[in-house]
Amino acid sequence: MVIRRLAALLAVLAVVLAACGGTGTASGSASEPASSGGGGGTTDCTVAVSWNNFQQPRWAAADEPNIKQVVEDAGGTYISADADLSSEQQLTDVSNLIGQGADVLILLAQDQNAVLPALQEAKDAGIPVIAYDRLIEDPDILYITFNNVGVGEAQAAAVLEAVPEGNYVLIKGDPGDPNASTFLPQGWDDAGLKEKVDAGDITILNGPEGGSGEWPADYGTYTDAWDTQTAQENMEAIIDAANADDVTIDAILAENDSTALGVVAALEAKSYGYPPLSGQDGDPANLNNVALGKQYVDVWKNANELGKAAGQAAIQMCQGTAMADVSIDIESSVAPTDGNSPTDFETPGGNTVKSLILQPTPLTAEDLDVVLSAGWYAGKDEICAGVTESDPGWDDCQ
Amino acid sequence: MANVADTAPVPGESRTASTATRMREMLSATEVDVRLFGMLVALAAILIGFQLLDSGFFSPGNMVTLAVQAIPVAILATGMVLVIVSRNIDLSVGSLTGIIAMTYAMLMTDWLPNILGLGVDFPFRWLIALVIGIAVGATFGAVQGFIIAYIGVPSFVVTLGGLLSIRGAIWYFSNGAAVTRLDPTFQLIGGGARGSIGELLTWGIGLLGCAFVIFALWNGRRQRRRFGFPLRPMWAEVTIGVLGCAAMLGLAAFANGNYLPAGLATQYAQERGIVEPPGGLKVPAGFPLPVILLIAVTVVMTWIATRRRFGRYVYAYGGNPDAAELAGINTRRTILLTFVIMGILAALSAAVVAARLNGATLDIGNSYELYVIAAAVVGGTSFAGGIGTIPGAVLGAFVMQALSYGLSFIGVNSPGQNVVAGIVLILAVAFDTWNRRRAAR
Repeated sequence: MVIRRLAALLAVLAVVLAACGGTGTASGSASEPASSGGGGGTTDCTVAVSWNNFQQPRWAAADEPNIKQVVEDAGGTYISADADLSSEQQLTDVSNLIGQGADVLILLAQDQNAVLPALQEAKDAGIPVIAYDRLIEDPDILYITFNNVGVGEAQAAAVLEAVPEGNYVLIKGDPGDPNASTFLPQGWDDAGLKEKVDAGDITILNGPEGGSGEWPADYGTYTDAWDTQTAQENMEAIIDAANADDVTIDAILAENDSTALGVVAALEAKSYGYPPLSGQDGDPANLNNVALGKQYVDVWKNANELGKAAGQAAIQMCQGTAMADVSIDIESSVAPTDGNSPTDFETPGGNTVKSLILQPTPLTAEDLDVVLSAGWYAGKDEICAGVTESDPGWDDCQ
Repeated sequence: MANVADTAPVPGESRTASTATRMREMLSATEVDVRLFGMLVALAAILIGFQLLDSGFFSPGNMVTLAVQAIPVAILATGMVLVIVSRNIDLSVGSLTGIIAMTYAMLMTDWLPNILGLGVDFPFRWLIALVIGIAVGATFGAVQGFIIAYIGVPSFVVTLGGLLSIRGAIWYFSNGAAVTRLDPTFQLIGGGARGSIGELLTWGIGLLGCAFVIFALWNGRRQRRRFGFPLRPMWAEVTIGVLGCAAMLGLAAFANGNYLPAGLATQYAQERGIVEPPGGLKVPAGFPLPVILLIAVTVVMTWIATRRRFGRYVYAYGGNPDAAELAGINTRRTILLTFVIMGILAALSAAVVAARLNGATLDIGNSYELYVIAAAVVGGTSFAGGIGTIPGAVLGAFVMQALSYGLSFIGVNSPGQNVVAGIVLILAVAFDTWNRRRAAR
């Protein structure tokens, strides 16, 4: 009896909750449109951001607060939506944001092709679009990003300097992401990886069977969805294979931090020691590994500055500045090498877009003070956790 | 084991039979579970296949890695058998594993020291965390089980809801950031070079296994005689005893062929004042701790499933829900308990994953539900209910992981691994269906 009554109660609760959820969405989509069109004073400028996900910590912790602050300091309004890694959701989000009266749209695309209908909708409404961090193939956008090829170059340059010759392992990201398959390996080659492989100074341990394959596509191990556990299991198998062949692993190029974290876990499980290892993103756990000497270099994209750049560009376009005349003012070490106004960028798809391409910062244990003093969301307590005098990050952690 | 007895051949019919039939009869006289035996053969075939492709494959160290990688899914699969046998499904196991792994990481890095004031030096932090994790798992399992058993919402729907909402909830612990640096003692649960039990204990476990096989055979024979059941021929008893014993000791010897990595061996030598011989000291590492955990889980779960009233109820309900209900079985409580067990197992699995990673990320346990269901199904669990064994599911997990580890060892990328895993899943079940239909004819 008691149980049946409890069950009834739970059922009622469920219905009520469902009803609440329903009204919640309804009120969200029904919000009235604010002022529209370009020009106008700063006070009624609405900057809308469509995020593809908040799963990775950086978007909510670094990018968003900086865009928001720049917009609100200029008297504008910040609105946003998070598509939770769904291209379909992102289309709905963009419609809703336009409906809520966006004057400028900042778009972090989940998929550069799937997002095109949303882009068209914004263009039809006369709203300028900033492609944030990821490229969208369309000539009318402003592309604000870090130099992704440069990230790869910085990774390889640091590791190649530490280990000029020997056996390398390449840990790549998701095979469907052009960063993983094209841009980052291109950067590795710019730093001289291909030359050294051709010269025989460097051997890729996880290359294709028999050594005959296409460079760089067939070399290295891809990691579905950049998943840490997958990277760990792959790396364990690579270590086992190297031990079976009686060769040592001298260095590892991992494309980003989630895969580098898996690599460190595998090295730890095998007590292999820590050959120089690269990463990218500046995640707290990885910066901690840099301080502890478990990861050699982390190429950091200071997303605080990327957010500021996008916020400044959005406000200026809102005030009627033409896309080509926008001028940003950010930390000089990451500012574009081509100056603070947009330059032309040839996309892989053959379009010419206006772009602001920021410079990444390679961080080894000696450079940790840079990130510690930059107001990065990873604080000193996280980056320096457990660092002792014998660890390479000790000096900067003092 | 006893349910195979009725298929024993009638003596006298086999006079004119071919060699193949006679082989089959001898096999059935030993009353070996043919399905389980077939799985072992399949696993061996996979391992031999990879060994042919790469001669460095089949070494103790590599097999230990493979085993440890299979363990999180294998632990969950033992519980999934009971859930599927009772005609339900649990899609939330991956998310549950993820949230408990994140709970362990947050407990050890933040909650224990900062909220409860238990600093790094506090003893048994790993045990406190483990107990809390098990409590969390059991609670989630109980809530889902209650809604399924007492309110009557289909388990597919409830656990699908669990899959989504629990996965989403993980984000709020750390705002998506990876949380690392667990308690050093806790890390031992994940195995690795330090988390192994050493040479002597490994031999001890091998001997214990051997003694268990002999005891089980002797006890089975005694019981059969007591109740007047047909006895197995003596040659079959001896063969099983010798092979079983040899397998246990062989496994122990094999695990002891896995040596500590050079760095740790040097440390070991220094601590004990041993002078290292040229070429380094060879210190046998033995079974890693998670393997011991899996053995314990498998034994306990098999005992629950085959020897406890609850376990028999699960199979009775799965075979015929109405009959079970009419026979007076408290079916609702039985179903609820299967989900509580699933939650507890998720906590154990999460402990292994988190310890191995020395932390937790947002994506721990992603798509585990699929691997776990695949392991149970490859291991012979039927979606029609009532059929499935726990050792079978564990073997299923090893078959799937052997493929994925082997492919990754010879350098095939994860999309390729997924293609193979999917095909093997379908083939395994197709073969099983064909085999059963043939047996029924």
